[in-house]
Amino acid sequence: MAVVTDQVTLTVDGQSVTVAKGTLILDAAKKLGIEIPIFCSHPKMEPVAVCRMCLVEVEKMPKLQPACAVYVMDGMVVRTRTEQVQRYQNGVLEFLLANHPLDCPICDKGGECPLQDQTYTYGPGASRYDFPKKHFDKAVPLSDKILLDRERCVLCWRCTRFSAEISGERELALIQRGKDTIIGTFNDQPARSEYQGNWTEICPVGALTSRQYRFISRPWDLDRTATICPGCSMGCNVHADARHNRLGRFQARENLAVDDGWLCDFGRYSFPSFQREGIERPRVRRDGRLEEVSYEEAMAAAAQSLRRAGPATAGWASPAATNEELFLFQRLLREVLATPHLDHGRGRGEAATALEPDDAALPIADLERCDHVLLLGGQAVIDAAPVLHLRLFKSERKGVRVHRVDDARAALEAVPAEAQAVGIVSSLGRKPEVDSLQGKLARKVKGSVRRLLVPDGPNGRGATDLGFGPGRGPGYASLDGKAGRARPDWEAAGVRALYLFEASPLHDFQASGEEREWIQRLETVVLQRPRPSPLDDLAHVILPGRAFVEKAGTVTNMEGRVQRIRPAIDAAVVRDDWKILQGVAQALGADWRYRDPDEVFADLSRAVPAYRADRIGERALWSERA
Amino acid sequence: MSLRKETVAMIREYARRYPSAQSAIIPALWAVQHEQGYVTAESLAEIATHLELPPSLIESTSSFYSMFLTRPEGRHDVVICVNAPCGLRGADEVLAYCERTLGIRAGQTTQDGAITLRSTPECLGACGGAPMMQVDHRFEENLTSERIDAVFERLRTEPAPHEVVKPKAVAPVKGEKARSGVEGARPRARRTQK
Repeated sequence: MAVVTDQVTLTVDGQSVTVAKGTLILDAAKKLGIEIPIFCSHPKMEPVAVCRMCLVEVEKMPKLQPACAVYVMDGMVVRTRTEQVQRYQNGVLEFLLANHPLDCPICDKGGECPLQDQTYTYGPGASRYDFPKKHFDKAVPLSDKILLDRERCVLCWRCTRFSAEISGERELALIQRGKDTIIGTFNDQPARSEYQGNWTEICPVGALTSRQYRFISRPWDLDRTATICPGCSMGCNVHADARHNRLGRFQARENLAVDDGWLCDFGRYSFPSFQREGIERPRVRRDGRLEEVSYEEAMAAAAQSLRRAGPATAGWASPAATNEELFLFQRLLREVLATPHLDHGRGRGEAATALEPDDAALPIADLERCDHVLLLGGQAVIDAAPVLHLRLFKSERKGVRVHRVDDARAALEAVPAEAQAVGIVSSLGRKPEVDSLQGKLARKVKGSVRRLLVPDGPNGRGATDLGFGPGRGPGYASLDGKAGRARPDWEAAGVRALYLFEASPLHDFQASGEEREWIQRLETVVLQRPRPSPLDDLAHVILPGRAFVEKAGTVTNMEGRVQRIRPAIDAAVVRDDWKILQGVAQALGADWRYRDPDEVFADLSRAVPAYRADRIGERALWSERA
Repeated sequence: MSLRKETVAMIREYARRYPSAQSAIIPALWAVQHEQGYVTAESLAEIATHLELPPSLIESTSSFYSMFLTRPEGRHDVVICVNAPCGLRGADEVLAYCERTLGIRAGQTTQDGAITLRSTPECLGACGGAPMMQVDHRFEENLTSERIDAVFERLRTEPAPHEVVKPKAVAPVKGEKARSGVEGARPRARRTQK
């Protein structure tokens, strides 16, 4: 009697391979390192087998079979490079190119185009067709982000399937049929999806291209840097592609645990905010006017004024600063200036509510493994981290019940007592509410109840972990009654000097009118920021620092994953922020001798053992159970 | 222009008949076309609202099938089948006779707006009565010049079918054969966007 297993063994091009039942021929071949050309197939989408590029010979089957849609069977014999297969591949490519404009020289996809690559590898050298090509509209704006070239489209349906299966918005559809088929939105309305950039990445030809990257570069001219998206605390992994030291685009850099290979448009198209225009030098206000000085002079001037204010100094940091910078800034304020008044974020009071490590935080990828997910705050939470929607939609397709609720009472009712694994997703600002909901749910349901809280900014989580708030020190250490005041109370607390550390125009200080008036009255305002800011008028010392895409360090995403960011563009003329912070501290008499961010991280890790240099890329472990 | 109450009620009723609202798209499109004579983008959006489906899906479906018209045509729809069996029984002559009698080519509408004449190489499914034509979704079989004259005579004065509300005409009741399917090249207006 044969042993029943979920493994099947088949032969591909003479090599034997054992894979799980339900594997596609395409993936079984991939396991052997055998490439089968594809256009329509996509690992994250259901097979459709419309492009016919992946046809292979399967013994005992009368016709060639699409490898992207046929599941393996035990004893199957597959051949991928027979003469018949090659003839078909030739034919399919000849058909695909029959109406393709071959305008590669002016196409943004040229050089990284699967149609180009596969034509060279598998296609005929020339076409036998000599009749006029069919013409469609070119460069049709689908939205303010995307252009569609209908002549280049090979109708692989990847974008329409993304719209149906990945984002669930169903904005793109196939319209008309046969030779007249086109991709479009309903009634040519502008697409509104927040995930359109992904269409350009999955398009196997140059049909869907990004307006922002239009005619910017050839792929081989790009300098590619693996870094993290500055958009929000999701921490999506990106490739920052720059040419001649100017950013051209962000591309997804798949991390299955975080972004699942997708980006949102807010993050993807945010990079122009970080592009440096010209060279800026530090400035110091003398007799009411800002004068350009050297960094040393500016740091000395800052130190002098801050020394006068001492414990009456308050420090604000952007939630887009790196962990290393936040750690140093925190030391500068607490140790050197002896002030307890620290805060970060856009004034939402997050630093005040997050007073403990989010130990039992639900990892992003585990949303798929819950049976009920509560989205407390609904769309507002998604807007704060748009890629979460894709993960939630994927989870829903897998059978997870996602409840979009506005208040905790509705949330509690939505989940039945027999739930096995419940996830709560909300914003960090609603932590007290989530705490109580989590407690009530834990009593109600049989299974586990975990939560995922979305902080503001790409390193909002790092800022709270490192104690960049008035209530807790690094690693949530108690301050022994020396707690400071949060930003709204600084005026009342008698703060006389302000040190503002901006790191991203997406997450800047944003002073209200009242707050501006207060800042105007302060005796010292030190402003360290990457680009001109509306606060420049109020500053006494301006220290140009680096933008998110110009620096090295680590940031922590919403689930506590510590990830590395790397400089994608060279800003050598501008001093590193950690060096500026160290310079100011030294000018104030501190004996700091960090030589690079890694040394800062080593120190940081002594203060916050959950952050470990050997675990960068993983989630910070606060306790064994996390 | 929004849909009549009766049409909306029909669309809702279709949606209830199937496990998936998607199945009700085609009957809903028929209902709209029978009310208005053709299907506009606004009515597609209305169908989407009533079926609770994304409008792109409705457009995708309606544009796939050439029998859904996107602009007003003649009051009556005459389609000559020129598929093989009809062809063997003289469909080409029938078509030529119609063109001569009406003074228009296939694909055109008579001056008085009464008749839009088309031909289709796709079988309309009435080979037993070849040569045949389809007049407003009804078959006229075993065509002779006299028969054709009589039909055209009638159509000249008759109102368009969608002006006479006939709610039962398109309901795809289980077991009933769908007797519709007008084929013919019907290019959409060139899609341009600024």
